[in-house]
Amino acid sequence: MNLKLKVPSIPIEGSISYEDWLKGRRYRRELSKLVAPGVIRRKSSSSDRRLKKLFNGERGLPFTPTEKL
Amino acid sequence: MDAEKIKSALADITAEQDPTIKSLKMASLCSALWAEHGVELVVVGGSAIEILTEGAYASGDLDMCHVNKATLPIRERQEIMGLLGAKGGPRNWQVAGMFVDVLGPAESFAHTPYRRVQGPYGEVQVMKAEDLLVERVLVSVYPGKNPAARECARELAVVALVGAVNMNWSEVLRVANLPEYRNVNECKPS
Repeated sequence: MNLKLKVPSIPIEGSISYEDWLKGRRYRRELSKLVAPGVIRRKSSSSDRRLKKLFNGERGLPFTPTEKL
Repeated sequence: MDAEKIKSALADITAEQDPTIKSLKMASLCSALWAEHGVELVVVGGSAIEILTEGAYASGDLDMCHVNKATLPIRERQEIMGLLGAKGGPRNWQVAGMFVDVLGPAESFAHTPYRRVQGPYGEVQVMKAEDLLVERVLVSVYPGKNPAARECARELAVVALVGAVNMNWSEVLRVANLPEYRNVNECKPS
């Protein structure tokens, strides 16, 4: 694709700064959700017991909504 | 890293409620501490894909591997993670309201570098996007269909196709052709 990027990309060579990585979060989420809407966290895994104990029956902290990224 | 800096970092990570930022910060802190003992860590699996895609995929554990051939002796691992007030070990710990797993040597076949994010406490190495994509596609098909892995692979692919994450597509093809994967057809768009 030949789209003008809205945010700094995560490069192959070199590194991305923390600030630039934060800036790109919303755009990356929006792109991801074009092909896989919603939360796609696995429903179960071998770590369920420890995860659910720590996260009040969930498998992790809730994801920040896209509009708040 | 001195004790005051560790204490301040831990307070920050413990208070962090965004799971992806929390993971990145924890990876940054652990990487810095392990590096002081000569071991380079890299974030792998779902945690790595989350850092690259924001795909709402990862669970509340951070998976890391060591890039060096040898890891630290068990005693040293426990001492380092003890600086963080971690519980458990010697390969997985509960710390700052999450779990950290250090699984063993990193498995990577791509000739590209690890992706690097300058975290708040030091650089975070993230598994190569090419390896992550080919591996996730494999898991989406074998040993049986895995819809979550497929969606995760699609997220990484679209983020890379648009260029938000730079991907070496020749390397994707080469890695998918390796005997370790043999999944070129599954990696092609359907």
